[in-house]
Amino acid sequence: MTPALRKIILPVATFLAFLGVWQFLSYAMEIPIYLLPSPVDIFHGGTRLGMTMLTNTGETLKTILIGFACACLVGIPLGVLVSVNRTVSEMIYPLIVFLNAIPIIAIAPILVVIFGTDMTTRLIIVTLTCFFPIMVATASGILDTPSEMLDLARVAGASTMTEILTVRLPHAVTFIFSGLRIGVTVAVVGAVVAEFVNANKGLGFLVTSSTAQFAIPTATACVVMLAIVSVLLYEAVNWIHRGFFGWSIKSNVGD
Amino acid sequence: MKSAASAASVVPMSTPEAPAGQPATPEPDSRREAIIELSHTGVTFETRKGNDLVALDDFNLTIYREEIVSLVGPSGCGKSTVLRILAGLQKPTTGDFWIGGGKTRQGFSEVAIVFQRPTLLPWRNVLDNVLYPARVLKGRADKDDRDRARALLALVGLEEMADRMPHELSGGMQQRASIARSLILDPKILLMDEPFGALDALTREDLQLDLLEIHERTRKTILLVTHSISEAVLLSDRVAVMSARPGRLQDLITVDIPKPRGPDSTARPDFHTYSQRIRDDIFGPRTKRDRAQ
Repeated sequence: MTPALRKIILPVATFLAFLGVWQFLSYAMEIPIYLLPSPVDIFHGGTRLGMTMLTNTGETLKTILIGFACACLVGIPLGVLVSVNRTVSEMIYPLIVFLNAIPIIAIAPILVVIFGTDMTTRLIIVTLTCFFPIMVATASGILDTPSEMLDLARVAGASTMTEILTVRLPHAVTFIFSGLRIGVTVAVVGAVVAEFVNANKGLGFLVTSSTAQFAIPTATACVVMLAIVSVLLYEAVNWIHRGFFGWSIKSNVGD
Repeated sequence: MKSAASAASVVPMSTPEAPAGQPATPEPDSRREAIIELSHTGVTFETRKGNDLVALDDFNLTIYREEIVSLVGPSGCGKSTVLRILAGLQKPTTGDFWIGGGKTRQGFSEVAIVFQRPTLLPWRNVLDNVLYPARVLKGRADKDDRDRARALLALVGLEEMADRMPHELSGGMQQRASIARSLILDPKILLMDEPFGALDALTREDLQLDLLEIHERTRKTILLVTHSISEAVLLSDRVAVMSARPGRLQDLITVDIPKPRGPDSTARPDFHTYSQRIRDDIFGPRTKRDRAQ
């Protein structure tokens, strides 16, 4: 077995075995479906929804992606700003840490009251949840730039802006991507929270509405779908990292 | 180094020009034109505890066009500080300095630097790394720059490596690339901060000889910081020996070993005389007595 094959087969086999044991136990111990549905029950709960499942996944995905993009647009420049300019850093960093310290689940209903029940509120919630890891990672990357590279840029006559664009930001790419990897999974959580408090569509909404009707297999199927979305997005970030910034990957870290 | 001759044609020699506002050069020799002058230059750092640390004290040195000057001395004698002042990375706290062309910096077109580590940007290939100073200064690199970069890569023996990424090169090759990068804008002065210090002994010897050859072809003024006494004697026209804490100029030795120099130069008796004099300057008579026992 090649190492690449092992990397796929071993976890898949473990996972299938886990599902098998679960299925067997639910059958053998006759666990009621409203307490813990078996894998087969969950599969049926999902297929019963049919296209509804897919359209709602699409809705949630849209919220996640737009919110995540906003978080990048806010987080990366902010990370650069707080690490390059000391005054700016001293002015806004404590405020941002404070903002991040507010539990997003607690503030979400308030945001709905303030911004209404449309997409905007959901995007604000997603952005708030995931910009922080992106910002912090960017800042660490910018500050990690080797002093010799900065000396090189300075002797070459680079302005602060040129220095950031040609040396600091490229060096920070590895760090930024670890921030993005955390950010994208947190964005999924943010989207679900947003749909819990304010939505009539999306996977988060399906979870709450099916639970309210004791349709536990359906709710669980939606949760499984969310996990799949989360894993796929994580892999997508990895794929972009490897595809476009391959030079920044020295070993298999993050693979 | 095959196509070194063609490379030399695109790296024109620095044209002598009358520097404006230049202080009177102390040496009356009219053939020698000063290009760097440090007068009573001193640097004092403030440590975290609030104490003053004198890194460089009342340092005077005049460097002439086309010569190679080495700075040697024990750790902490301020040799790198001198280099950082001339590179514009450190402001002197006392005294003054002057560089041919004035104090305004025009990037690598005036003063170029080679660090101890190659410091290539890992996200650019070798050619783009060599072009980096041109990109910073002009915003973009045109065809002339590319041609010159390729010629310089040929000069340092890396013409085959232009499209490789830095991590694919050995340490010695990376340092060669960084030397090519330092020459891309035809600088007046080349500063080298222990350029061969991080290399293994064989590569080091190889690059020293290459540097002599590059100097023959380009006639750059080179200020070299080194820990190696033999390297200083082999490469330099003059060796400035510095003492530590506070960093001061202790001795200035003119090395009269005939040029072109090569591996044979190290076998000459005067090579050892020069080396011994520098050693005595640095370690003082006590160590000499210790060694005799």
